[in-house]
Amino acid sequence: MPLSTQCQDDDKKYVLVASLDNARNLSNILKAITFKDHAIFTATSNGLQVTVEYCKTLQASAFIQTEIFQEFTIKEDLVAFQINLTVLLDCLNIFGGSPVAGTSTALQMCYKGYGYPLTLYLEEGGVVTVCKIKTQEPEELIDFDFCSTNVINQVILQSESLKEAFSELDMTSEVLTITMSPSRPYFRLSTFGNSGNAHYDYSKDSDMMEMFRCTKTQTNRYKMSLLKPSTKALALSCKVSVRTDNRGFLSLQYLIRNDDGQHSYVDFFCCPDEEGEEE
Amino acid sequence: MKCVIEGKNVKVFGRAVQALSRVGDELWLDPTVKGLALRSVSSAQSAYACFIFSPLFFQQYSLGGAPKQSSETVKCKLLLKSLLPLFRCLTSIERNVECCQISVSASSDWVVFQFFCRHGITKTHNLRFQEKEALQAEFASRLCRNVLKAPARLLGDVVMHFPLFQEEITLSTTPLRFSLRNYEDSSESQVKMMYTEMSLHPDEFEHFQVDVDSKITFCLKELKGFLSFTESHCLPVSVHFDSAGKPVCFSVEDLLFEATVVLATLTDPESTDSIQPAGTQVHATSRCVDVAALHVKTHRADEESASVNASPASSVICALLFKAVSSEQDDGVCAATPPVLAGDTDDEEMMEELCPRSPSP
Repeated sequence: MPLSTQCQDDDKKYVLVASLDNARNLSNILKAITFKDHAIFTATSNGLQVTVEYCKTLQASAFIQTEIFQEFTIKEDLVAFQINLTVLLDCLNIFGGSPVAGTSTALQMCYKGYGYPLTLYLEEGGVVTVCKIKTQEPEELIDFDFCSTNVINQVILQSESLKEAFSELDMTSEVLTITMSPSRPYFRLSTFGNSGNAHYDYSKDSDMMEMFRCTKTQTNRYKMSLLKPSTKALALSCKVSVRTDNRGFLSLQYLIRNDDGQHSYVDFFCCPDEEGEEE
Repeated sequence: MKCVIEGKNVKVFGRAVQALSRVGDELWLDPTVKGLALRSVSSAQSAYACFIFSPLFFQQYSLGGAPKQSSETVKCKLLLKSLLPLFRCLTSIERNVECCQISVSASSDWVVFQFFCRHGITKTHNLRFQEKEALQAEFASRLCRNVLKAPARLLGDVVMHFPLFQEEITLSTTPLRFSLRNYEDSSESQVKMMYTEMSLHPDEFEHFQVDVDSKITFCLKELKGFLSFTESHCLPVSVHFDSAGKPVCFSVEDLLFEATVVLATLTDPESTDSIQPAGTQVHATSRCVDVAALHVKTHRADEESASVNASPASSVICALLFKAVSSEQDDGVCAATPPVLAGDTDDEEMMEELCPRSPSP
C-alpha cells in the first residue's frame, strides 16, 4: 500500500521522495554492501546509488534504478548525503527481518535536503512506523577511474559456479590471485594457504561462462580480506561480470534479481595488492 | 603414484577421510600394490583407523616409476585439517565432481588432488606432505575370543541413542546377551547422570560368538565416525574383542575396500559388576585417553614412536596384530616391514598386573 498520503502536506519541501511497495527490494541489496557502517547515498533521476568504501582500496556500490520504485521524485539534479547504513537497515527491517508469506513492508523515504534527516515511513499490516535518521556531509568518493576502454579482460559467469568456489576458498591465504588469459587456464582463482595452494579453473567453454573476452594473460593479486565482503553480493546475485584493466584493478559487477524480477546491480572495485608482485 | 577415482566413489573416499578425521589429526597415505591405504591414529594412541582401497576401486591406479618395490613409491603423511575441507561437503561432490585424481611424485613435496567437475570446472589442490614411512598397527583378531557380526545398521541404530556428549560406552556381552551402556566416571556426580542402556538378543546378529563374558569400555567418538562410513554402504560390521584392557576391533569389508578401527579399552582388574561407585577404581580418571593401549608406530624410530609412557611394560600393553598391507605372517616385530609393533601376547599376565598410569590424585 503506497504511503503517498504521508508526504502530501510537505510535498513541496522534499527534494527526494522514493516509495517502494516492498522494502525488501531495497534492504536486500543494501545487505550486500554492509561491510562498513557508513554509506554515501547519491540520488539522480536515474535512481539511487549507495556506496561504501574501505581503506581507499575497495569500493562497493549498489544501484537501484528509478524503475524499481513505485514513486521516485527528485527536485534537484543530484542529492547526496552520508548515513549510517546499519541503522538504516535496522529501520527497514523494523517489522522483523524474516518475511512472512503474503505480507511485505511498504516504504516511503523522504529527504528535505542538506542538514535534514532522512525520514522513513514504514507500513505493514496497517501499522506505520516513522524513522528519522541523521544525515552527514557526504565524504568524497574515490574515483577508481575504471573505464571500459582500459579493460583488458572480461568474463561473465553464472554466479552459482562462483558461489561454491568462494565458499571453499582457503581462508588461511592472505591473497587471492585471479588469472585471466586467452589460453589455458582461461579463468583461474588461486589461493596460497598454510597447507598448500589451490586453483579453481573455469574453462572458456564452460556452460557457466556466459561471456569470455580475454585479450592478454594477466595474473593479479588481491587481498583476501578485501574480496571477502563481496561474497554477500555474490550470494544474492545470479550473474557476475569480472573485469580487470591495464593497472590490474578489479571490477566485479553483480546482477541481482529481486522478488518482482527486476534487476539491480552491485559493483565492487578493488585495488591489486602491490606487495611482492612477482608471480 | 597416480590414481583416478570416478564419480560416486569420490564420495566414498570422502567419507573415509571424514571418518579418519574423527580419529586423529594426521593421515598416512600409503600406496601399495594391494591398494591405497589411508591410516590415522589418535594423539593419545588409543584409536587407530585404516581404510584400504583396492585397485579395483579406482578407475586408474598406478604406483608410478619403475614397477619395482614400494621403495619407489612415496609414502607420506598429510594434515587432516588440510585435507578435510576438500571433502567436507559430500553432497556437493556428488552433484558436481566427475572424477578425482590423486597424485604424489617423489620429486616434489606435494600431493595433488584434482577434481574434474561439471561445467568445465577444475579444482586443483596441492597439499604439502611429509615423507613418512607407513603407519601400521597389528591386531591379533584371531586371538580374540569373542567375535560378533552385526548387520549393517544395527550398531549405528544402537549408538545413536546415547547423548552426543557421551564419551565412552561399555559393551557387555555374555553368550546370551549383548548390551551397551554409557560409562560414567565414578568420580563425577552420579545424581546428574542420565543412564542409557541398550540390550540386544544374540539373534539380532549375523554371527554371535562369545566364549568369555566380557565388559569393555571404549571411546564412542571414533566409533561413530567409523559407523557413519559403514552405514552408507550397508555392510555388516565385524567386532573382535576379548576381555577388558585388550583392544576392540570393528571392521567391514567389501570387494573394493576394507575399513578397520581399533580402539583401546579400559583395563579393569576389578570384577566385572556394574560400575563400582566407591574409589576402588585403579585410576582416577577413566578416560580412554589415559590408557596407552595401542602400540602403534612408524617404522623408523623417530619422534612419532609410541613412547607415550616411559615404563617399558606399558609399551607392550596391547598386542595388535592386523594383517593389513603387510604380507608378513608372524606376530611380533617384523624386521623388514615398516610397521610397528606390537609386543606379543606373552605379555598378557603383565597386562593384568599393570596399572595404567594416572595415579590417583
